[in-house]
Amino acid sequence: MSRHVAKRNPSSAWRHIFIIFMIVFALFPIYTVLLSSVNGSGALATASLWPKHIVFKNYTKLFNDASIPYLRWVINSIVLATTNAIISVLIGIFASYAFSRLKFKGRKASLRLLLLIQVFPNFLALAAIYVIMERIYHVYPHIGIGTTWGLLLVYLGGSMGANAWLLKGFLDSIPMELDEAAKIDGASPSQIFWLIFMPLTKPIIVVTMLLTFIGTFNEFVLASIFLQEVKARTVAVGLESFVGSNFGANWGAFAAGSVVAAVPLVTLFLSLQRYIVGGVAAGSVKG
Amino acid sequence: MHKLFGSNFGLAVKLLFLSSFTALFTWMAYLAILKSEWAIAVVLIAIILSANYIYMSKKPVAGKFLLPGVVFLILFMIVPVIYTTYMSGFIYKAGNIITKQEAIHQILTNTGMQPDENNTTYDMVLGIVGTQYTAIFTDQTSHQVYLGQNGVAKPLTTGQYHLSADGIADSVPGFKPYSDAQLATADQQIADTKDSLGNNRYILAQDAQTAALFIQTLTYNAKTNSLLNPVDGTVYVDGGKGYFVNKVDSTQRILPGWRQPTWLSNYTSIFTNAKLRDPFIKVFLWTFAFAFITVIMMFGFGLILAIALDKKIRFRNFYRALLILPYAMPSFMSILIWAGMLNRDYGSVNTLLGHHIDWLGQVWLARAAVLIVNLWLGFPYFYLISTGAIQALPGDLEEAAAIDGASGPQIFWRIKLPLVLQILSPMLIASFAFNFNNFNLVYLLTRGGPTNVLGGETAGGTDLLITYAYKTAFATNDQNYGLASAISVVVFVIVGAISMWSLRRSKVLEDMR
Repeated sequence: MSRHVAKRNPSSAWRHIFIIFMIVFALFPIYTVLLSSVNGSGALATASLWPKHIVFKNYTKLFNDASIPYLRWVINSIVLATTNAIISVLIGIFASYAFSRLKFKGRKASLRLLLLIQVFPNFLALAAIYVIMERIYHVYPHIGIGTTWGLLLVYLGGSMGANAWLLKGFLDSIPMELDEAAKIDGASPSQIFWLIFMPLTKPIIVVTMLLTFIGTFNEFVLASIFLQEVKARTVAVGLESFVGSNFGANWGAFAAGSVVAAVPLVTLFLSLQRYIVGGVAAGSVKG
Repeated sequence: MHKLFGSNFGLAVKLLFLSSFTALFTWMAYLAILKSEWAIAVVLIAIILSANYIYMSKKPVAGKFLLPGVVFLILFMIVPVIYTTYMSGFIYKAGNIITKQEAIHQILTNTGMQPDENNTTYDMVLGIVGTQYTAIFTDQTSHQVYLGQNGVAKPLTTGQYHLSADGIADSVPGFKPYSDAQLATADQQIADTKDSLGNNRYILAQDAQTAALFIQTLTYNAKTNSLLNPVDGTVYVDGGKGYFVNKVDSTQRILPGWRQPTWLSNYTSIFTNAKLRDPFIKVFLWTFAFAFITVIMMFGFGLILAIALDKKIRFRNFYRALLILPYAMPSFMSILIWAGMLNRDYGSVNTLLGHHIDWLGQVWLARAAVLIVNLWLGFPYFYLISTGAIQALPGDLEEAAAIDGASGPQIFWRIKLPLVLQILSPMLIASFAFNFNNFNLVYLLTRGGPTNVLGGETAGGTDLLITYAYKTAFATNDQNYGLASAISVVVFVIVGAISMWSLRRSKVLEDMR
């Protein structure tokens, strides 16, 4: 009966209109940035919403202009985001294994505490982080304020709160019988973890790593406080400093830079869409 | 496979890791002790001990898996939160960064040390007599020679010293001058060279070869906790606000100041100081309004899309791929792109509309722009989770309701929407908390501007509490860490309370396995 209703649904016109409206809304900025990136004049797409002549000088400027170490920024971002993704997912999977499978005192209390902590982004404590990392800098100049490694340490501080719950939810869905059988065969908790759980959790590990990667790639507050030196910046801080100060002059190169950085990320995201949507439904909010 | 992970191999790997880790951290603790950073050293030693205990013992299995995460969580999340609360109890801003002890030290060595009116300078030769560090000073104008030892400069008469060909005293009996190599490593000794001539006059080394005469214009009396200018007799007392101030005229401060405990004054000043109160209240209200409205908008559009795409229509998969593009784009980039598009002079939005509107320059337009841009960023996420929620509804719901005589709109408003809301309420609340602190959106789109609309200089029309705190600490000359920390604590309390309330309500805690 419901199929019958759907077929003769008189209101399907508004559906199409609304969907088309939202698609235009969604694509307009993407179109603008693609257009600006191949626009001859360096300024924003002025006067016309159609390309007149397509040139690629914005792209060449991006990789040749010494005042914009764009490639360096991209590499910085990728190194930082990859390292953070790997380490923080490892930390998260360790912790969630303990929370899901091991019995210990204070387990429930710690889980509750984690749930509360995860709503505080750690940049809320930015002044304190700055002061603490400045002191660390005095002793260890390589991991204090102003360094990528110091920034990574601060990111890792937020990793438990961000990932442990998501990963625990997945581990909880792995049947208990599996590790009980292994236990009977004489496996230790470490062996169960490395030989049984790690292979089984590959899909969720990939998704969590991707989400952490994207989150780090987008992070601006802490990176802007930590990385003052032009060459040390991430793409987010670098592009902001470069375009935020002068939209008129630098827009074209910025647009090209956005396209170059966005294409691989968007492709990766869309190709893993199925898994991400599952993870999203489990309650993680992409930063 | 079991052989590979057998006890011997596993143990060897563990020992290798643990011992290199212990060596590294011991070395780091040693460095911290060298710099007298006791807190850092204690933390490192605690980590070394707990790691060795947990990984070597057979018992605390859970600890083995939790330790790395817990260490990072405590050090870089919980400690900063506690330290934020601590800092919010201080006058802690540019000019009041150091401790009182350090401030007094700086006042005595810098502020309170003034070159004498003749700018007397000396040639200086450094070395040792026996084991005693010794400096020989020759006044460049009067050629009087002094012997500096133990913080005292003693005038010498001709015959007590040896003159070089340039007319500089370069030796006294028993004196062994420093070699160039020794001088190169004596920076600290040179910086500490301060020999008294009596009467508040001191000879201070300027570099390895010269020194100059300084007059101590401020002395510190620990008993009365005050500074005295021995030249004109002015007294400076601790004004209670992180500075020494003139006893007679409290507007005259001695710099630098120190961070002064003030308990709650950063909090009370938010409510009593009109220059802070008016902008703070407006920022506070806008933060709530923004977080609330933006979640409603994103959810509303996402839900309608989910309903529109729920029934089989043509190109559904294609539409879906296009619609989630904003979600796939790096968000900081999208926000900057929007900032460019809304630019008054060059932006494509004005080109499209054929108008010349200053979107980000007027308060209400800027607020609308912030909401629209966030809608663009967020509706795909809500579309995705709404689709999930609708598909999770029981399949026969619609039929059952129709049989009971409910109309289409009734089914939606009375039955489907409440159920979807119930399923999605944890996500809605999480999204509220996230947007309450949506720093990137506001800072990258408008920098919190337009400014000069709320009174006060720091806060702007679209500032959220978190961007306001950031600007208070890092984007003003004042660099008011104390006030910024107080604002952060207010945010902690609000966000924490909302989450606690919602967790209780959603019963996540009871369902926890």
